[in-house]
Amino acid sequence: MAAHAGRWGCLSENGTPLVDVDELRVWFPIRSGVVLDRHVGDVKAVDGVSLQIRRGETLGLVGESGCGKSTVGRALLRLYEPTGGTITFDGQDITHLGERELRPLRKRMQMIFQDPYASLNPRHSVGRMVGEPLRVHKMGGRNLNKTVRELLATVGLPADAATRYPHEFSGGQRQRIGLARALALNPDFIVCDEPVSALDVSIQAQIVNLLELLQTEFDLTYLFIAHDLAVVRHISDRIAVMYLGQIMELSPGDDLYDNPLHPYTISLLSAIPIPDPEVERKRTSILLQGDLPSPSNPPHACRFHTRCPYVQPTRCRDEEPELRPVDTHLVKCHFAEEIKAGTLQPQQREVVFETPSAPAVWQPPPS
Amino acid sequence: MSIAELEAREIALEPGQGGLWRDAWRRLRRNPGALIGFTLVGLFVVVALFASVIAPEDPRFGDLSRLGGSCCPGPSFDHWFGVDQQGRDVLSRIVFGARFSLLIGVVSVAVGLSLGLVLGSIAGYMGGIVDGIIMRLTDIMLSIPGLLLAIGIVAMLGPGLFQIMIAVGATQVPIFARLMRGSILAQRENDFVLAARAIGVPRRSILASHILPNAISPVIVQGTLALATAIIDVAGLGFLGLGPQDPSTPEWGTMLTDTTRYLQTAPHLAIIPGVAIIISVLGFNLIGDGLREALDPKLRGRG
Repeated sequence: MAAHAGRWGCLSENGTPLVDVDELRVWFPIRSGVVLDRHVGDVKAVDGVSLQIRRGETLGLVGESGCGKSTVGRALLRLYEPTGGTITFDGQDITHLGERELRPLRKRMQMIFQDPYASLNPRHSVGRMVGEPLRVHKMGGRNLNKTVRELLATVGLPADAATRYPHEFSGGQRQRIGLARALALNPDFIVCDEPVSALDVSIQAQIVNLLELLQTEFDLTYLFIAHDLAVVRHISDRIAVMYLGQIMELSPGDDLYDNPLHPYTISLLSAIPIPDPEVERKRTSILLQGDLPSPSNPPHACRFHTRCPYVQPTRCRDEEPELRPVDTHLVKCHFAEEIKAGTLQPQQREVVFETPSAPAVWQPPPS
Repeated sequence: MSIAELEAREIALEPGQGGLWRDAWRRLRRNPGALIGFTLVGLFVVVALFASVIAPEDPRFGDLSRLGGSCCPGPSFDHWFGVDQQGRDVLSRIVFGARFSLLIGVVSVAVGLSLGLVLGSIAGYMGGIVDGIIMRLTDIMLSIPGLLLAIGIVAMLGPGLFQIMIAVGATQVPIFARLMRGSILAQRENDFVLAARAIGVPRRSILASHILPNAISPVIVQGTLALATAIIDVAGLGFLGLGPQDPSTPEWGTMLTDTTRYLQTAPHLAIIPGVAIIISVLGFNLIGDGLREALDPKLRGRG
């Protein structure tokens, strides 16, 4: 099965993975009706995701908006109830633990959010916010204020920030506050849910460097969710590509960029602009046709077949591919080998960018 | 110097601004409408608190000899607001009436707000079938016009000051419940609530320390506006004869009713309590509007 194939490429040399997700499904019910809520369908945000996160690594998770990558991250922390599958954290099955049983585990897994404005309670001072995890788990004691100041220093904020309120800080600084809060309990695992997407580029670099620094200092394991492929490449050891609630390809970071195997990854990477006009003008860019299908009614068989430039008359539309090992990758495509060998070429959907020959100035139509 | 250092220095240079409430207060002080509101309400409260010092006479004391055969003498040097049909000093009655209006307004809004707050919070946070039941109940109450509902409740409980407070408070419950529920629903899905759950904060603490403080500001605004409506409703019930049954009680609404017969000869008897009602209601409305602007998160950081 797919799950076993998944284990093949992902098990680390040194024992069990820290997080082991097997066939995770998170469906959100769609209800309708005035008096009685009828269950009329499900939004299949995550539909059969299996992945392992090794101790100390950064696993990048990329995909376009709405593909379910944030949902995976939140389900791992049990902020969303999984509909199916299992989540194992450090050897313990946490899929169905109750709120109370989860509390000791909360110390070990934390989260950083995308929007540094929405993720901080505007009515709490920074000190109260960063100290809250310590108070909840009764770890602060008398030295609470000192610990909070140390945490703020760790993430590069001045000590007097503790008495201030979130609205007095810039986006990058707020993200540091969120980071200090996540670090307070000295966790093993942090889900970074697009932590730099809302920041401007110079600040992004600071936060990414800080994340890397903290990783070595505190032995952290990251699940790094993002849609910025350059940032993900920079920080990740391995990268998983998601599409419509499923993982399409998973491979060591550089391999994915140098040698993408899944058609979706290929088109995703071809969308990255190259900062050299000569190369940019010559190269081929694949534009995907159509919109993302609705996750409440995903395409049968291969989820990507409706937009795939390599779609074949056989198999693609009637047989769901497995996530299977090809080279160092795991790929969910029937024809990965053929695509890799170059025997399969993208079809008419390919669009080659050329310098426009039409005049740039608007001219009145001939009357 | 790196950008982080620059930012850190920038922060250090900025004067401390304090929390959201202090921020809101700062904006409120610059709003002329709100300042007028505070002045009017301040006047109203001072008059109500120190009624026995300000009023020249006992509001229940009447001297028919003051009428001098006609009804009723208008404002004079001895009686600034004139004398009513029973020879009582109108100024004293207005001053003591402020006490009743304020008391009734505050108590009935407190009743409505506390009940509405609890019901709305439960509905908003629990969701599901509890939410459904509570909201359908409030829909039923909202489908009856407020004053009519209050009249119905007074008719059930019998007339009187205390009953009026309960009745007016009851009409406010569904309004506060709806508002609170909506506000909680809006806050429940916020990232900082999710962050609190990820930390392991117990559900009850999340509601108390993360959701409620952020959801409460529209309710506070509604509370000040409701004080105004409560005063009008109470005057209305008093006018309909459902107010305090002791006719000598100086209640503004009752004063209006008692003087309708003399409207042609002594219009000041109706105008003066009417103006008193208008001023107090206007004051609360201005404060409510000012608060709404000051607490609006979209205006945060401005001004």
